[in-house]
Amino acid sequence: MEGTRRSFVQFLARGTGLLLVSGVAIRSLAGHMFRTVLPPRSVAPENRRWVMVFDLAKCDGCKDCTKACTKMHFVPPMQEWIKVYEVEDNQAAGSYFLPRTCMHCDNPPCVRGCPVGATYKRTDGIVMMDQDRCIGCRNCIAQCPYSARFFNWGEPPHTPEEMKVAYSVEHNYPHRKGVVEKCILCPEMLRMGMLPACADTCKMGAIYFGDEFEDAVTNGKGETMQFSKITEKGAGFRLMEELGTEPRVYYLPPVNRKYPSPEEKHTHEATKV
Amino acid sequence: MNERETKLLRTIDMSGRGFRAWVALLVSVLLWGAFAYSRQLRFGLVETGMRDQISWGLYISNFVFFIGISHAGTLISAILRVTDAGWRTPITRMAEGITVVALCIGGSMVLVDMGRPDRALNLFRYGRIQSPIVWDVLGVSTYLTGCILYFYLPLIPDLGIVASRPGIGSFRRGLYRLLSLGWTGSPEQWRLLNKSISIMAVAIIPLAISVHTVVSWIFAMTLRPGWDSSVFGPYFVVGAIYSGAAAVVLAMCLLRRIFHLEDYLKPVHFRNLGLLLLSFSMLYLYFNVNEYLTLGYKFRGPEKVLLDRLFYGDYASYFWVVAFVGVFLPMMLMTLVLGPKRYRDFTVPGLGVASLMVVIGAWAKRYLIVVPTLSSPFLPIQGVPEKWSHYAPSWVEWSITAAAFAAFLLLYTLLAKTFPVVSIWETRETGEPVEEAPAAAAMPFRPKWRPALPTIVLLACAFLWSAPAARGQGAAKGGKAPQPTSISVGWQALKPEDAPRMEDARIAPAASGTQRFYLDTKVLSYPWAAGSSSKPKESPIPVIAVSAQLKDAKGQPLAYQAVSFGLKTSLGRLEYGARATDGDGKVQLIIRDHRFGQYPVDVAYGGDDDHQTSHGVVMVDFGPRPAPGLPDSGVLIAPTFSAAIGLPFLFFYGSMWCVFAYVFGYLVFWRMRREGAGAVPNPAPALDGGTPTQFVPIKPSRLPDGW
Repeated sequence: MEGTRRSFVQFLARGTGLLLVSGVAIRSLAGHMFRTVLPPRSVAPENRRWVMVFDLAKCDGCKDCTKACTKMHFVPPMQEWIKVYEVEDNQAAGSYFLPRTCMHCDNPPCVRGCPVGATYKRTDGIVMMDQDRCIGCRNCIAQCPYSARFFNWGEPPHTPEEMKVAYSVEHNYPHRKGVVEKCILCPEMLRMGMLPACADTCKMGAIYFGDEFEDAVTNGKGETMQFSKITEKGAGFRLMEELGTEPRVYYLPPVNRKYPSPEEKHTHEATKV
Repeated sequence: MNERETKLLRTIDMSGRGFRAWVALLVSVLLWGAFAYSRQLRFGLVETGMRDQISWGLYISNFVFFIGISHAGTLISAILRVTDAGWRTPITRMAEGITVVALCIGGSMVLVDMGRPDRALNLFRYGRIQSPIVWDVLGVSTYLTGCILYFYLPLIPDLGIVASRPGIGSFRRGLYRLLSLGWTGSPEQWRLLNKSISIMAVAIIPLAISVHTVVSWIFAMTLRPGWDSSVFGPYFVVGAIYSGAAAVVLAMCLLRRIFHLEDYLKPVHFRNLGLLLLSFSMLYLYFNVNEYLTLGYKFRGPEKVLLDRLFYGDYASYFWVVAFVGVFLPMMLMTLVLGPKRYRDFTVPGLGVASLMVVIGAWAKRYLIVVPTLSSPFLPIQGVPEKWSHYAPSWVEWSITAAAFAAFLLLYTLLAKTFPVVSIWETRETGEPVEEAPAAAAMPFRPKWRPALPTIVLLACAFLWSAPAARGQGAAKGGKAPQPTSISVGWQALKPEDAPRMEDARIAPAASGTQRFYLDTKVLSYPWAAGSSSKPKESPIPVIAVSAQLKDAKGQPLAYQAVSFGLKTSLGRLEYGARATDGDGKVQLIIRDHRFGQYPVDVAYGGDDDHQTSHGVVMVDFGPRPAPGLPDSGVLIAPTFSAAIGLPFLFFYGSMWCVFAYVFGYLVFWRMRREGAGAVPNPAPALDGGTPTQFVPIKPSRLPDGW
């Protein structure tokens, strides 16, 4: 039968109706499927917004932070949860030391890519790592542009102190084979109102840590600064801003350094030998 | 059954010395791989050459390679079936076999790569649909199911034929009969089978394309130089079809030679498939040029490092050899053996060599996609041993790779031994029938909203004063003892316009957080994203005036004295420095910080020769903290499904499963089997001498005679 205009209009009307009905159905279904509440583990103990500021003008590359972190978390060998890089932006600019922790991004690529939610963002901004759940696919390592994630390729060596305590996501040890490791900003210390190990240790006072809601950051020497002031007046920057990861770690540029630059340090060491 | 078919079915009976030696060789390689894997299971991935910098290696290359090879089959046979290309009939079975086997091997390579294979089930317990890994699990498992079905459906009539063949063991006869689902070849059965195959052929094409796109997205969804590319999806799909088609040609060459299938696989088949392969090599070349030219033309930032290494650096020789062996040489060879008439005699061997090169090149190319990018990260690799910054696969990885290839060949051999390698019924005459649940229990997030305090709160000032000087009271000093002093402190929140402009006042507080849109956040502005609440606005930055008055013991204001202000934070004390009191002993501090919550501000007077120290504390309320703790524009806490990514994926793969259920569950398993049970009492079809009595050609042949 030849279709009439009337029957075609009816056909279109029926189709529109069907679309509307299925749209409503999907909407109500989606409300059940896609939960908007957070699981308990994502809710931080306090309503905070942690930030970290590295004053590159004060970092002399002594790596005390790395040692303190390694000691505190029993970090397996070959991993540096806070690593001090020696970088050079261009040939003319000369090099400087760049400590790198996990950036605890607000738009974290690792959390985005984790297939099982083993790494997740807490409401206080910390990107946590649940090694009870990690399947060792290493997608987060591929995702992280800051090379801030590590993998236990073999069974890590253990110490008796490490094995004394039960595993908790707040300290991430005892360490295990086949899971991913990273900086978690010492949530245990924060619970006790103390600075993370790296900030606490830094003799130069280069590592500031604090709560953005308090607009104050404190370093290991007990100096407290107004966060918004030092980042604004000091032209603070974040690493690889162009990637849109929105890190929670800020850097103050290495201006007016009061310690030998990496080159001077190397020449000094060379002449000493 | 005619002579040609008897000859074909000899593959099923093969059990000669050569066959046994071949199987024994493959099994021994497989066992060696199993030994290597057992070591890896025991000691961890430390047995491989992968380390933190280059954290994916041979296994992932193999995974991408085998998934690519799997496109051979199904996609080619489905496309040819849908377009009703008559010459495909002897090829489809081989191609589909490659697909099924390659998918099994490719999927297991991911399992081998996992650090904790014992937790593989977490993918189902806690799977997040936002992760490319989960897309892959979903895609590859759906595709494998579809390909097994698509391999199996056209096999049913052949199983009926083989089951009725004299001289096979009773066990195998029973197996074939069981698998043939009571096939009798009645017209209704033919109709149902043709319908099922047609539906599957249509469904498998988007599915195959989606699977390799999703594989490429594992890489393209990262930020890494060389992977962060929007063209990766089609690039991988074309590369996959290219390598897959080459694998089919290679299999055709080998099987033709081994099983003497010259009656079935004629030069025309090679020619047609060769032309397909040649056109795909051009398409692949185009995608390569597109990928590397757009990067190399700009030569920017982190990609510069990668391209330097690929074009001139440590990967250069590898890169250019792969480009030549994988693309240029096969292209030239194929053009020669397919083009000029004088070389057409070499079509079959020429294509065999070309496709071997393509397959090797494809495997090497996967390695080139995975490894150099990982070894050129954004931050330089520093302070790690040479072995960690340069990837060299260990013997364990090579052994497992060899075992993967051996398993591929073994499975394919067994498939060829169990089932006819060429579809009998389709080639019998020219006319052919056409044929989760997310994780932890939900606990609603309850923001700790404090009732907003009134804008102006005058707190009772804590009159704290220094105790009357205890020490130094004696008669040591000749002068009079310092007087006790006191400070009264109060605070009020000012309207921004009322606040006096101070020297250190911050101008134009930056709005925290721009409008950003993340596909995987929990809250989406989609109409169907239920619970898409309006964002709680962060309150404007308050301007707080803390005022204090300094008085001496008699209550007289102390003028022109330095008073210092400090604010106690949870980790330290923020100093605001000292300010001088005015003539009335008053001093005011304006605070314009981005601060929320309540803090004690203390005001201290250091004292001088005449006056003792004193200090006062006031709790200042900077307004309630926003909840939750992250800036709403940047919140990416998506521990569960997000609708924007979840719905399209679930819809696509869900509809595929519906198609499978309809085709296999209803059409084949339910209707076709019952049809066979009721129709003919004797399930063995009379098939001798090639009488096509059981055939009901649905479509007339479009094949010209002589093909």
